[in-house]
Amino acid sequence: MQVGKLSKYLAGGAIWGFIVLELIFFSVAGEFFSVSDKAFMDADNMLLLLKQSAPIGIIAMGMTIVMVNGNIDLSVGAIYAICAIILLDSMTWTMFAGLGNWVIPVAWCLALLTGLVLGAINGLIVWKTGVDAFIVTLGSMLGYRGLVFMYNGEQPTSHLNWTLVDFAEAQFLGLHTATWFLLVVTVAIWFLMNRTVHGRNAYAIGNNREAAVNAGIRVGPHMMINFMIIGFLAALSAVVFYSESGSVNPNDGQLYELWVITAVVLGGTKLTGGAGSIVSTFGGVIAIQLLRKGLAHIGADTSTVNLVIGLILIAVLFLDRQLNVKGKEELKV
Amino acid sequence: MKLRRILAATTATAAMTVAGMAAAETMTIGITQNNVGVDSYQTTYEKAFIAAAEANADVEVVVLDAGGDVARQIAQMEDLIQQEVDAIIIWPTNGEAVIPAVRKAHQAGIPVVVTNSNIAEAGFPFVSTFSGPDNITQGARSAEIMCDRFKALGIENEAKVVHITGQPGYTTAIERAKGFNDRLPEVCPNVEQIDEQPGDWNREKSQQVMEAFLVKYDDIDGVYSGDDNMGVGAMNAAIAAGREGITFVGATNFAVGYEAMAAGTYWGSIYQSPVDDAEAALKSAIDLLNGEELPFLNYFDTPKITQDNMGDFTKPVF
Repeated sequence: MQVGKLSKYLAGGAIWGFIVLELIFFSVAGEFFSVSDKAFMDADNMLLLLKQSAPIGIIAMGMTIVMVNGNIDLSVGAIYAICAIILLDSMTWTMFAGLGNWVIPVAWCLALLTGLVLGAINGLIVWKTGVDAFIVTLGSMLGYRGLVFMYNGEQPTSHLNWTLVDFAEAQFLGLHTATWFLLVVTVAIWFLMNRTVHGRNAYAIGNNREAAVNAGIRVGPHMMINFMIIGFLAALSAVVFYSESGSVNPNDGQLYELWVITAVVLGGTKLTGGAGSIVSTFGGVIAIQLLRKGLAHIGADTSTVNLVIGLILIAVLFLDRQLNVKGKEELKV
Repeated sequence: MKLRRILAATTATAAMTVAGMAAAETMTIGITQNNVGVDSYQTTYEKAFIAAAEANADVEVVVLDAGGDVARQIAQMEDLIQQEVDAIIIWPTNGEAVIPAVRKAHQAGIPVVVTNSNIAEAGFPFVSTFSGPDNITQGARSAEIMCDRFKALGIENEAKVVHITGQPGYTTAIERAKGFNDRLPEVCPNVEQIDEQPGDWNREKSQQVMEAFLVKYDDIDGVYSGDDNMGVGAMNAAIAAGREGITFVGATNFAVGYEAMAAGTYWGSIYQSPVDDAEAALKSAIDLLNGEELPFLNYFDTPKITQDNMGDFTKPVF
């Protein structure tokens, strides 16, 4: 029992140990390789780190619930792009012309609503057809991306609103607007997963779907709600990011699903469902952004960054497996 | 008395600081590129940029690549601002999305050089200078190459031209098309442009566009394409259809275009070297930091290249 607990702590805490390791490595390496005189651990740099983690981080929180459920959502990148287009384009619609800057909250709500609806479509299909979420969202990833290109062809959709940019660039209590959104989402989803029936059911369904059905949990609607949550969060991520940059390329958000899943898995969530923690996912998100930022800080190029993240992901999964196998073996004795 | 001493001390310290800065005089320049590795132009650009920076002992560079991702480019801008580099060079992934990030650099007092393709006009107040090719002149020069060729062939009064443009909405595509369309009637008033379609910078797309033109029009004497990549696509369509005697003119001379010129099937283009592009960007940043006044649009020269003078140019590496 003790050993099982220990390995669980090790597995859960591994991501934070890894983050500390990264911080030490980049601080030391930065002294030698970086042309910048500023330390890597500079407070401003760490604040930027949180802010830059927000787009992936906000979606990763939703992905954690969906993956704890034993599902996956590959369409988040495409939802992100559609919502960004709705956000920027709706501000130029003639029916809102009289609103002045009040068009901003309207555009936000429209974008969030779009995300909610697209997520609901995913959830409904998974619920009613019983087809694996991987296949359903693979299809919707292609389909939603098709919608993005139908909207404005290959051209970027642009609308620059300086009021919005100023809001997005603002810092409240030292933290950037995007960071606040990330923190609020993290706390909210943590509460949902750890303090509500819905959260408990999410783990139960991921652990053993049949048992959950027998226990009287309405699995279908539950999953649909989770897909709506991740759709909403993908939209929120777009709202946060595109408030600061007034233009969206039709291929924006591509590969986001993979970065999000990488962060979630790095945080220890099982692809098979039933296990995972919001706090660790937060750690996974920070770890990836730290790696990107750190490698750029010491002058590595983008391809190296991807290679290193890939290797670390595999190493973490291997380590995780070893720890878990050991834990189980010890329990049997 | 005391006040005077403090003043003296302060002046001395200030003088020493200034002297120290003058002695060091290394400038740190950060660059965030669009998408290195997506094509050989950008790959060569990066190599040339790093080589140029290494050749200059006074310059240290932070070379970053956004991988075509706007979010990453904005993050890189923020990082460079945070690292307090002396100047930032940006090759925008999206001419509008990066404007707020450019404004941030401007507010932090860091001069920004936009390289290769300019950002949208709303961002101009925050940019120190643009370093890149003059696409309007490129289009105009292509028109001149085309017209000169028609005159040499003696068909300048009856020739018919089709035009394949780059991706719609892209500044480079729009400007080149404008340069060509404005200049051609000036130099060859009797040449008629019978059609214009986008080829999206894509060789296959351009080949299809040309195939359609060949079916539609029995008489085509010249084809202008927004770059050689598309030009070679169009040329292949014509060769496949067995149509001869068409003058192909492009822009941004690619290796394939250069080879086709050597083979005699492609007539001319505009020589735009990524090496010149990169060196011009670095030089602009250095000049700015040395306090020189630069024009807002700081173009580097992109000369005409045809079958006649191609010996003066080395084959492009991309």
